[in-house]
Amino acid sequence: MNRASIVGGYLVGFALLFLVWQVAATWLARSALFPPPGPVLERAVVLIQDGLLQEAVFASLRRIAQGFTLGSLIGIPIGLAIGSFRPVRMLLEPWTEFFRFIPAVAMITVAVIWFGIGEESKVFLIAYTTIFVVIISTAAGVGAVSRDKIRAAQCLGASKLQIFALVALPATVPYILTGMRLAMANAFVTIVAAELVASNDGLGKMLWDARLYMQVEDIFVALLALGMLGFLADRAFRFAIRAFAGRFNPTV
Amino acid sequence: MALVALEDVGKTYRGRGGAWEAVRGFTLGLQEGEFVCLLGTSGCGKTTVLNMVAGFEAPTAGRILLDGAPVKGPGAERGVVFQGQDSLYDWLTALDNIGFGLRLRGMGKAERRAKATHFLDLVGLTGQGGKHPAELSGGMKQRIQIARALAADPRILLMDEPFGALDAMTRATLQGELSRIWAETRKTVLFITHDIEEAVALATRIAVMTRGPGGTLKAVIENTLPFPRDRTSDDYMAVFRQVHALIHAEIVVASETRGMTAA
Repeated sequence: MNRASIVGGYLVGFALLFLVWQVAATWLARSALFPPPGPVLERAVVLIQDGLLQEAVFASLRRIAQGFTLGSLIGIPIGLAIGSFRPVRMLLEPWTEFFRFIPAVAMITVAVIWFGIGEESKVFLIAYTTIFVVIISTAAGVGAVSRDKIRAAQCLGASKLQIFALVALPATVPYILTGMRLAMANAFVTIVAAELVASNDGLGKMLWDARLYMQVEDIFVALLALGMLGFLADRAFRFAIRAFAGRFNPTV
Repeated sequence: MALVALEDVGKTYRGRGGAWEAVRGFTLGLQEGEFVCLLGTSGCGKTTVLNMVAGFEAPTAGRILLDGAPVKGPGAERGVVFQGQDSLYDWLTALDNIGFGLRLRGMGKAERRAKATHFLDLVGLTGQGGKHPAELSGGMKQRIQIARALAADPRILLMDEPFGALDAMTRATLQGELSRIWAETRKTVLFITHDIEEAVALATRIAVMTRGPGGTLKAVIENTLPFPRDRTSDDYMAVFRQVHALIHAEIVVASETRGMTAA
């Protein structure tokens, strides 16, 4: 598929989404609690003119970027170690298998107690939700390196370190990137929850305030912004994966 | 002295289901510069023999000597061409795959490129060096594997049914190419196959194994047919018949044994 038809497909898809929204709001719901796209977009323009929407978006995105980067930087080496060394796996698997079932949302209270309602708690939560997904997919990637790839390197005279750096690591890159992409989706879930509960700004805070003052349009503006940001972040990530790994691995 | 000597080599796997003998009392010497095909029915243990010579697996009986010294694990003096094509490095170009062994030794980029290009040309892929494995056909990938193994300049080339997954036309082409490459490089080759025609077309000696489990060497046939080999000549057919008779006996025995177990 060429680029124009992909973009065209997306535009039609989004147009359809807005159409369904319009139909549902004006004919099915007929309620002030479910505004159609028109008033919501008008409200969005006002919020942008006042600078409030950008502020909220920027606050949320900054936290995601920081926590996501931190979580990946911690998760990737741990995942590589777990995948490469059996003793490390035995030692750390209970940790990863334990913590990954405690969702970041459940850690919000702890995070707020430990770090307050400022940036630190949000970055901690995003990093927390990122780490385990990245660890698991990285470790799985190392485990999936084909035996013949390693054997081929061995009979070309590779040392253990060379096999790790020149074979296992590059072979694992697509898995690492896929794990990061999944973690990015988790990060969006987590940031909203964290900001809903305890925050001075961000899209979650905007949602919460709008609920308090019954500004239904504001709620929908925030939801729309989240959807768009998530969509764009995921596209950007997929683009990066393709640019980086796709040229040699058509399955990515 | 033989370049590689297998002395009374055996391999028994011990698992939860008890012991299973793959190879028993296998003795064979490989001389410098010869092309030996190890021929056997499926499950006879021929790949196990190759894996032990390569050092991927250790024998449980007997010993394997390379230049008189026991084999301990894989090493650069024994190059391997694998049956499967996922031994190539997807993230490297064809040229960088071929130069991989040279890179491991710390050879400089320019020298490495020149040498890799030489082997790219040798396997008939001139101009294809910039492609990644995903962009190459199965036959081309096997050519890259051969070039990669040869570029590291091993004492012996171990080939594990390298053309087994290819279509008949490509296989025949690559067999011809391999004969030419062998004639040019005079590299010692141990080639595993279950294809009689392939063995007769390529080998200077054909080592036939008995059926598995616990396969061992049944007979070794000198194949002095001149190169390039004409697969329709009477001499060719005579060698083919001789090898076929040896292998056929194994297939008949194997199927009879199976029939008895079923009844």
